Amino acid sequence: MSGPVRRSASPRRLVAIGVTLIVLLSPFLWLLQMSFKSNDLILQFPPPLIFTPTLQNYASLWQGAFAASFVNSLMSASFSTALALVLGVPAAYALSRWAGRGKHALSFAILVTRMAPPIAFTIPFFLFYRWIGLLDTVTGLVLVYTSFNLPLVIWMMQPFFETVPSSLEEAALVDGASTRVVFLQIVLPMVAPGIAATAILCFLYAWNDFFFALILTRTNARTAPVAVVNFMNYEGWEWGKIAAGGSLVMAPVLIFSLAVRRYLVSGLTAGAVKG
Amino acid sequence: MSGEGLVDAERRRFNRIALAPSLIVLFVIAGLPAIYLVVTSLTPFQLVNPGSSTDFSSPLRNYRLLPGDPRFVNSLWVQAKLSFWGVLLQVLLGMLLALLLHTQSRVVEFARTLFLIPMVLPPIVVAIIWKLIYTPDISPLYYAASLLNVTMPSLTSSVDFALTAIIIADTWEWMPFTFLMVLAALQTIPEEFSEAALVDGANRLQIFFYITLPFITPILVISGMFRLIDSVKAFPLVFLLTGGGPGSVTEVTNYYAYLLAFDFNEIGYSSSVTIVMLLLVVAVSLGVVWMGRRREAMA
Repeated sequence: MSGPVRRSASPRRLVAIGVTLIVLLSPFLWLLQMSFKSNDLILQFPPPLIFTPTLQNYASLWQGAFAASFVNSLMSASFSTALALVLGVPAAYALSRWAGRGKHALSFAILVTRMAPPIAFTIPFFLFYRWIGLLDTVTGLVLVYTSFNLPLVIWMMQPFFETVPSSLEEAALVDGASTRVVFLQIVLPMVAPGIAATAILCFLYAWNDFFFALILTRTNARTAPVAVVNFMNYEGWEWGKIAAGGSLVMAPVLIFSLAVRRYLVSGLTAGAVKG
Repeated sequence: MSGEGLVDAERRRFNRIALAPSLIVLFVIAGLPAIYLVVTSLTPFQLVNPGSSTDFSSPLRNYRLLPGDPRFVNSLWVQAKLSFWGVLLQVLLGMLLALLLHTQSRVVEFARTLFLIPMVLPPIVVAIIWKLIYTPDISPLYYAASLLNVTMPSLTSSVDFALTAIIIADTWEWMPFTFLMVLAALQTIPEEFSEAALVDGANRLQIFFYITLPFITPILVISGMFRLIDSVKAFPLVFLLTGGGPGSVTEVTNYYAYLLAFDFNEIGYSSSVTIVMLLLVVAVSLGVVWMGRRREAMA
């Protein structure tokens, strides 16, 4: 079990870690290898482990309607991220510097919007959108995604602002700079890495959404996660396309997660409550 | 003195301007929908019957129906089973994984990131991965079982195994979360403690139960609560793996609310189901905040 921390892991422990890793990741790797198999190979029994990979599944995705849904995903995720940052970063700064009463109540109220199960938002959004014609539009998706990305920005950015020494700001204020100038020219550059990490997490949350897109889009604004599921249809399951589509949907996630792995925990737990 | 007063006044003005847009937008895109959800829950609103959206003649009708709706009661029960076993497994396995990876070695530190993959994958991709594992024709799992001459039942369509199949997938997806939290807690334990215990002749099991476990218990509880709150969001798994079936063996409240609103067009009734679910989630969340505060007070 857990003794004192060793400087280097024992060979036995390394083997155990390796085996655990292979077992844990094999379901994921199975999908990945399937995306490079033709449909005949996928259905072959026993499943061949060594085969000549083909890009045929990816090519057929790119020629089909999937490409458009991929673009929809990109647009709704990036626009909602941008909107949430523009609104949320100044708000987080204000909250971090605000000593007044009601700060905790306000922060908690903001957070409640993130704890709610998605269905709580889908019903009203669906009805509103039906009424004002935002169903099946990227704009509609951007607005919903902003509703859960904005609280994330406000919660994640506060600790970053708190690391900026207040003496630095005070000096500039005494020298006659306005609060706005201090914020834009002194504070913002110092928290740039935090903004980048928050932006990536916002993007991932919007990108990963399945539920809202399932209900609020049909064909025009359909996102990649919903499009992949549509390959499971009544005529039969196009496993090659499903595997390739699934791999494409997870590609940006894997790349970005590596970039922000240090901030992953705070971002994911802001989805619940800060302990 | 007066200069500081001016700075304070300007600061307050800046804060107001910085906060206002966010609060207005949040009110419009989160507050209003929440209020509207409450309003709809007081009506017998059905999409096919437009006038029903403003029928407030019997506002609490939906809520009175809930306790007598066997499907609703069943869905709470299914959710309770899914949450209980899921959280328990995720906390235990996450802890074991954290203990295994709690070592200062370059290779291991790199490997830690790979263990996080299931958690960051898009939930629908996780659902696809498990659909693949649970589909006999193409599943490596069924192939492995056939090699061992074991005939496996179809897990997702069996009354006995369907919920277990979802719990397994949910655990795979979220075990990395509890693992990360416990690992962070392990790193705060001062090394001297276990070193002193080793010198005194304690064995590893004793060190675990008397030093490590008391240290990480708060984080085990907190991460379990986080997972409990989020366990109502297992929608993609239920949607893709079982569709709530067979029968309603895997029909969690979230999925039942979805069916009510978007399959049966019972918007009003679905809203009341959602609100009850929301209240339960908020109650659990407040519990987490309270425990977090208590923990801070103890530290």
